[in-house]
Amino acid sequence: MEGQAAGEAVMDVSLPEGNSITSGENTVWADISPLLDAACRDLEDGELIHGENFNLFAAMSALEIMDPKMDSGIVCKYYSVNEAIENGAAPVPISLDKSVDVRCTIDIMDHLLACEATWHKGHSLAQTVFSCIYLLRPERTSSHALLHSFCRVMRATCKAVVSVVSDARTHEEEDLFTMTYGLPLNGDDDKCLTMLNAVEETTCRQLRACKAPSSKKRVIEDIEPLQTNLELEEGYCRALLCRLRFRKHFYHVLACLRRPQGRGLELARKHIASCISELECALSSSEFLRSVAFGTYDDQIEDKTTASGCEPIGFDASLNCRLSAPTPPRAIKILSWKKAVEYFIKLLHDLDVICSYSLDPSLESVLHFVVQFQKSQPDLVARAHLQRLLVQDGKLYGQDPVFAVITRAAALPEATKNHDIQKNEFIVQLGQLVLNLLKILCTNSAWKRRKLGKIIQDWRVIYLQLELAFKKEFGENASVSNDENVCVKIFQHILLWVEEQTYWIASQFLILGFELELYSPSEYCMVYWYIYVVSIKLAEKTHLKTAVTCGTGKRKGKKKRDCLKDVARDYRIPPAVLFLQCQICLAEGLTMMLAALRNEHMMFQSLNIFNTEHERFIQHFDLLQKACIPDHASYPSFNESTNYARLSNLVMYNYFKDAQRIAKEVKSSFSNDPDKLAELRRLEQVAEHNNVALNVICRVGVGDPSLKVSFEFNHHPYFATAVVKRS
Amino acid sequence: MESKKNEEEEEHGTEKLEFEASEIEYVSYGGEHHLPLVMSLVDQELSEPYSIFTYRYFVYLWPQLSFLAFHRGKCVGTVVCKMGEHRNTFRGYIAMLVVIKPYRGRGIATELVTRSIQVMMESGCEEVTLEAEVTNKGALALYGRLGFIRAKRLFRYYLNGVDAFRLKLLFPRQDLHPLADKDDGHGHTDHIPSERCCELH
Ligand SMILES: CC(C)(COP(=O)(O)OP(=O)(O)OC[C@H]1O[C@@H](n2cnc3c(N)ncnc32)[C@H](O)[C@@H]1OP(=O)(O)O)[C@@H](O)C(=O)NCCC(=O)NCCS
Repeated sequence: MEGQAAGEAVMDVSLPEGNSITSGENTVWADISPLLDAACRDLEDGELIHGENFNLFAAMSALEIMDPKMDSGIVCKYYSVNEAIENGAAPVPISLDKSVDVRCTIDIMDHLLACEATWHKGHSLAQTVFSCIYLLRPERTSSHALLHSFCRVMRATCKAVVSVVSDARTHEEEDLFTMTYGLPLNGDDDKCLTMLNAVEETTCRQLRACKAPSSKKRVIEDIEPLQTNLELEEGYCRALLCRLRFRKHFYHVLACLRRPQGRGLELARKHIASCISELECALSSSEFLRSVAFGTYDDQIEDKTTASGCEPIGFDASLNCRLSAPTPPRAIKILSWKKAVEYFIKLLHDLDVICSYSLDPSLESVLHFVVQFQKSQPDLVARAHLQRLLVQDGKLYGQDPVFAVITRAAALPEATKNHDIQKNEFIVQLGQLVLNLLKILCTNSAWKRRKLGKIIQDWRVIYLQLELAFKKEFGENASVSNDENVCVKIFQHILLWVEEQTYWIASQFLILGFELELYSPSEYCMVYWYIYVVSIKLAEKTHLKTAVTCGTGKRKGKKKRDCLKDVARDYRIPPAVLFLQCQICLAEGLTMMLAALRNEHMMFQSLNIFNTEHERFIQHFDLLQKACIPDHASYPSFNESTNYARLSNLVMYNYFKDAQRIAKEVKSSFSNDPDKLAELRRLEQVAEHNNVALNVICRVGVGDPSLKVSFEFNHHPYFATAVVKRS
Repeated sequence: MESKKNEEEEEHGTEKLEFEASEIEYVSYGGEHHLPLVMSLVDQELSEPYSIFTYRYFVYLWPQLSFLAFHRGKCVGTVVCKMGEHRNTFRGYIAMLVVIKPYRGRGIATELVTRSIQVMMESGCEEVTLEAEVTNKGALALYGRLGFIRAKRLFRYYLNGVDAFRLKLLFPRQDLHPLADKDDGHGHTDHIPSERCCELH
């Protein structure tokens, strides 16, 4: 095809008359129709004239004009917002009948909520919230206080959410989210609440008026009712109020979360609670709204985008087609109103978890919190808020400088945080890596794993650079001055901590593969082996660090007797290390069990048509291997340790029993850490089940073809349990 | 996903066809007369049509990598691929793979991709990649058996909100040194851009 490109051809053609764009220096306008005609006659069926930059992307972006499936232009009902408005697509007021007008306003509010949730879930703003014609023309609604104030707070809310998501920049794959080109998002945000409050106040009085006994009615007669049908007045007032109040509190939540250094978190929690209770009111208003709309309360509206089940007025998703996406936009399905409410309740709960975090300055605790938080699979908006809270102005929570965070994590004395060593270029870089790590941990799991895989190399490199700098500065000799002594210590501590952190990242990387379902059962063996070797290193570094910490503690003027006690305690393995050891036993046990099953031909006979397990090993662990995590871990060493695994040996030396024992022992050390306790219980269960499975397989007989062994994750997210069945 | 389940039921249901594996004839893409066959097959399984430019892009540049399967003169399956340089590696890419329903489960797709992969390997490719929906059990099993690993998950790769797996098959190398930097990001123009690729149900 490329050979057939009829590139530049120079032809002498005359200037067409009356063209409006003037030619520049050295250029003239030319009519190329004859050239095209000539070229067309030369072309065979299937040939194409193209430039050199014609690639797959260009080929795929090509549209066949007037094909309704590709040409989004022809499916539009209206050519412009103005045309839609002229055709009465979004009347103001919505109806001259005030009762109908209120009903329709509520439908619009509900559909907007559904659109908003759909947007948060990853569709473009233009095709969701801004499919609302009323939102697109801010000035048009000004005569309609209810609609106008609602539209304003909607726009302000969208703007606030866009801003937190783009600040957080967790949206690498979610950039549809922040695309706001051409949308009227820049209003006067502050005033939106004033208007909303006024409308809320009026509705509140209308509600009070309609509920007042008739004797008092006269006193408040001057209040005009919300609409004309007095029987429905209370129901409409209530339905409106919870919707308006939800908007108000939600806007407050966003504002509170935006305050620097987490200062608004406490207040945010109050607004979150109010949001949730207003949403619950809205849910219960749906019965009333449905009965008004259809006369009966029927349950056929699960997938409707409004509480009443009616189609909302004033929306046209096709109007914004051209703004929304580079590829031909397809019709998107707006979430149902019920699903939208569920989404918001989940979002609010996630935000509440963030707000209730104590802003603990210890990095270990932050990492643990984020990992734990991510387990509930929060959506983009919640994750963006978490990230913004954690990293502000290059500091943890916008208050703790990174170096202080690092020295604390590296178990250095408090005073170290002001040491000049923080100006060392590699220490500065290390600080960047820490902040970057925090940000990455807030992203969606797929993206997170990719990024973690990449930064392992960076952590390895910074370790080597720090080590080199350290050696250069202090050499091997020990006779150093006091200040240098401090530097030596800082370097040593930090080096140790960097190693520990690197292995922690590596293990997160490996574990995430399970969550993302990247491993197939035939690969579990090598994955558990890798988890095993990384965990050993992690435990080793953690152990060393704990030992060093005790060293620092002791120096701080402790009495001799305490010191002796410390020494006695030091002989015991610290609980954090025991915890890791429990996982190590499980990983090793699973590796060996899987290997034995394979070696005894009970499962996983791979075809090896185009490649072997070796290639699959390289592909899965390439990033770790390149960073030498850990040293000497390679396919041959994996092979060496698994090739001779036999079930009979496994029963003799049972790793699962060890895991069970450690889990039992270490529980008491974590009696006030419910997360760790729960994890220990899960580990124990996995160990127990696998222990039983192993015994069953051995008893029933190795090589029994009717025995089917499979692995499931019913007790732990990434430690599998063997399930034995007879076919 | 639901539609896929129905599909499976159908497959294992009544409309299975009786034929011998040897009755299936595999041919390499042979020119314009094959194009409508490829297009109609892929169109049947696609939620959205590819433009004719896309088809031609593949079959004109890499006719040797596209294959069709015929049963008694009827086209029942096809595979469309490309290959090229990508960040210092020469890699193959499987763009589309379809077997029509009555002929599924008989190894036709396996034979089609195997042929393409064979040509890629002989042409010096170091690896082969593709994307598949995380819910596409059939395709994942098929590629898994051929030695593909799930290298990464692509978050909401398709506009319908479904994630994709990037599958990769690494060919063995003579020298077993660590591989050259062949890391690839998501969203590069080498492969079919997101949303529209391989959305075959
Ligand atoms: C995927 C597809 C091409 C498979 O075609 P096929 O000819 O049935 O595949 P094969 O017969 O070669 O299957 C080979 C193996 O794949 C697996 N497999 C295929 N379809 C499967 C299914 N529906 N469920 C589970 N495994 C399946 C099996 O392991 C099978 O081996 P087995 O029959 O020995 O158990 C076909 O189902 C299809 O056209 N689907 C729609 C388009 C599509 O999804 N394309 C892939 C896009 S990436």
